[in-house]
Amino acid sequence: MLPILNAMIASAGTTPASLWMPPQASTVASEVDFLFNFITWICYFFFGLIVALLVYFCWKYRRSPESHAGNTVGPTHNTTLEVVWTVIPVILVVIIFYMGFNTYIHMSVAPKNSYEVQVTAFQWGWNFKYPNGAQSDDLFVPAGRPIKIIMRSNDVLHSFFIPDFRVKKDVVPGRYSTLWFEAPEPTGMEAFHWLFCTEYCGTGHSNMNRKVHVLNQAEFDDWLEKQSRWLDDIPADELYFKAGPKLFARCSQCHTLDGIVGTGPSWGKRDGYTGADLWARTESGETRFADGSSLKDFIGPGKEFETPEDYFRQSILNPGRHLVNGYGNAMPTFQGQLNTTAIDALIGFMKHLDEFDSKGQFKGAAPAAATTP
Amino acid sequence: MTTLDHTRTVSAVTPVTDNYLTHTRGFLSWAMTLDHKRIGIMYMVSVLTSFFVGGVFALLVRTELLTPGQTIPGVTADLYNHFFTLHGAIMVFLVIIPSIPAALGNFVLPIMLGAKDVAFPKLNLFSYYLWIVGALCVVASLVLGSFDTGWTFYTPYSTRTSAGGVVPVLLGVFILGFSSIFTGMNFIVTIHKLRPPGMTWFRMPLFLWATYATAIIQVLATPVLAITLLLVVVERVTHIGIFDPQWGGDPVLYQHFFWFYSHPAVYIMILPAMGIVSELIAVHSHRHIFGYRFIAFSSVAIAIFGFLVWGHHMFTSGQSPLMNTVFSAITFSVSIPSAIKVFNWLATLYKGSISLNTPMLYALSFIVLFSIGGLTGIHLGALAVDIHLHDTYFVVAHFHYVMMGSALIAMIGGLHHWWPKMTGRMYNENWGRLACVLIFIGFNVTFFTQFLLGSQGMPRRYYDYQPMYQTYHVVSTMGSYLMAIGFGITATYLVHSLFRGKRAPANPWGGRSLEWQCSSPPPHDNFAVTPRVGDCYDFSVIEWDEREQGYVVRRDKDPELRGHHATGQAGTAGGH
Repeated sequence: MLPILNAMIASAGTTPASLWMPPQASTVASEVDFLFNFITWICYFFFGLIVALLVYFCWKYRRSPESHAGNTVGPTHNTTLEVVWTVIPVILVVIIFYMGFNTYIHMSVAPKNSYEVQVTAFQWGWNFKYPNGAQSDDLFVPAGRPIKIIMRSNDVLHSFFIPDFRVKKDVVPGRYSTLWFEAPEPTGMEAFHWLFCTEYCGTGHSNMNRKVHVLNQAEFDDWLEKQSRWLDDIPADELYFKAGPKLFARCSQCHTLDGIVGTGPSWGKRDGYTGADLWARTESGETRFADGSSLKDFIGPGKEFETPEDYFRQSILNPGRHLVNGYGNAMPTFQGQLNTTAIDALIGFMKHLDEFDSKGQFKGAAPAAATTP
Repeated sequence: MTTLDHTRTVSAVTPVTDNYLTHTRGFLSWAMTLDHKRIGIMYMVSVLTSFFVGGVFALLVRTELLTPGQTIPGVTADLYNHFFTLHGAIMVFLVIIPSIPAALGNFVLPIMLGAKDVAFPKLNLFSYYLWIVGALCVVASLVLGSFDTGWTFYTPYSTRTSAGGVVPVLLGVFILGFSSIFTGMNFIVTIHKLRPPGMTWFRMPLFLWATYATAIIQVLATPVLAITLLLVVVERVTHIGIFDPQWGGDPVLYQHFFWFYSHPAVYIMILPAMGIVSELIAVHSHRHIFGYRFIAFSSVAIAIFGFLVWGHHMFTSGQSPLMNTVFSAITFSVSIPSAIKVFNWLATLYKGSISLNTPMLYALSFIVLFSIGGLTGIHLGALAVDIHLHDTYFVVAHFHYVMMGSALIAMIGGLHHWWPKMTGRMYNENWGRLACVLIFIGFNVTFFTQFLLGSQGMPRRYYDYQPMYQTYHVVSTMGSYLMAIGFGITATYLVHSLFRGKRAPANPWGGRSLEWQCSSPPPHDNFAVTPRVGDCYDFSVIEWDEREQGYVVRRDKDPELRGHHATGQAGTAGGH
């Protein structure tokens, strides 16, 4: 009886996980769970009834192995009984349909004063954009306030799912989709709820998960303010190691630093190249493209890219222009997601790869790295 | 000869020598055969081979999921995506859809009708070869780089993925669709035109009702899938915008088209299974099926309602709340005929003479597993709850209970039920029961765990997962190994029975329908003269015959058949 009691007692707070359901952390969760448990208890009842009758009949009317009884006589139909066992399920499913409909309508209509977060899904990650222009990779929301999520996809289908909130909606390329929730209890910066992608989207599908932090309003405002200008506060010569690793976290979905082949080319040493890493082979123009040309043909004064930095900038904003030999057109554009400062920080990070470990953690400035990034 | 005639006996010691297996010999006599029984056997061998391949992929998927991240060395996320896609596509298109109608149906349906063959024997052979071509396309796809789209081929992923085998497999499924359509057409005409004297619509064995309802869905729904997949091929090759928004298409339109077929396809899988279970329960408890008309009508009702519920696969797709509401309401209407069937089967057991042999154990497993599969469908039909459960392991568990726990278990049950008839041999009962119990336990360990996994929030088609889900995954994988052992035992004793099994009597179980009234295995022509039939669920006229070591149908005791009993397949056996 515990799950159903839980659901009935639960008001709006966070309720711990039960056998069937994860913790309840949104205002609709207890409603959804109540219905889930209601149906589950109906299932227990009918399943128990079916199995009990089945076992009882099989035992009571079993044929002994030696017997070859041919004839048995029992009723072949009974209209009253058959009507009864048709009508009872009909009544039950009508009730269940109505309950499901009711809660669903509540879940479908976002309250008027909702706080809006713009969400972009791509292969394979999420980008969250807040009204003041701040962006983040994990989702941060204020507690006790309805949040409306407005979603779009850069490529294929994705689906936005937060189990603890009981909300889910597909993200469909070519159209906006929305959902809303309200999380009454803050988790703080440490604790979080999981956000999963639940529509199959290829290689990185199962790693397309993010943390959802619920903050109280003051904490959220503070975070939002800092988030909108986190790059601006970092001195230019510290950008590459203070902002670089954070920005690289998103690139690391496809690019490694240790030469292991990912969805995209590794930034570390690659087989078949003499350059020690990405910067070396770009500077020397050694990089080979899928069409047989190499970067040498495009880089230099008066050519498509004036400097190696130009090549990186274009590769981030228009990644399909030149495809590195051996790799498909899989990278999304980061136009509108990374500003000039962020791109500078990433390029600086690429130039100083020897100062980072294979996970992108800063090890400390190399002695010769006194030059500006 | 003439087992139809109770006054003649077929000695177990000197069996009928002419049968469809030995009627003619040589490779071509099989490859070019028009005999529905041989075509059924060829389908059965092909389907079981595919089942083995699909099963290997299932075990690879389960093994890979033992730990978060990589478990099997060398199996990357991409390779895993190919594994689960191949598992799904093979099991759905090559195994479950053709298994009961094409394999068992082909063998049993004409004999149940007392006919010599289906209405269009050449079309029947043609649809088998279409199946082979479809299967070869899948093999070609594997050679050309396989596919990683999921068995649902959702756009725009399927129009963009770099996997090289997408076009061949889509064409393969297109061709398999025609195989299915032709089989359906054949069965519809056969049931309309070739019923024997005395068999009115409401005298048909329920397996025939189920096959008939299935055939209607096959003929009406499959063309929609065929054209949809062809459009995906066209879009992938020519970049004409149909389903992919980058060329101006609509991905949700694809989902509507796909499920317009694929939801009814669920009933292509489950209806014949229900038909088999109706036969198994009645025959192995020697008891008139309870509520014949309710069962027959519920098959038709399911077939009709099945066309109107496809939208319940799309509650989170962004389709309007109004449509979601309508689809949710209609979805619940399908649950009623299913519930009725379960109650009717239970009532059939009441006051029966129940033999707990292997086919019956499979039928009882079906009732239990189908109940779980059906009841959890209520969670998924309820809008608010489905939002949480959609695309999680809860759905995976639900459809495995219906597709594997129900459709496939019924197929294996039917295989055991008609095995003596098909091969003329009995298998070892004790091994049969043991394997059934292992499969039943293994199945529940594997998939019941996945209900909990799903409702706790684990999404499907995940290569990597959070450590909090690992215990469930380990338990589930262990269950799958247990099932594999069960199927291994089944394969072993069935093959063994072909060589060493006891010779089967014409009627080992005490069945009443016509297939139990010709010899095992049946002669080439089934029946020399179309026999008259009575009530195929009236078990008061069957009797154990010591000399036969099987049952005989005392046609002289049935008032409707008196005077019609001397109509066996005269001349097929000779010597009497």
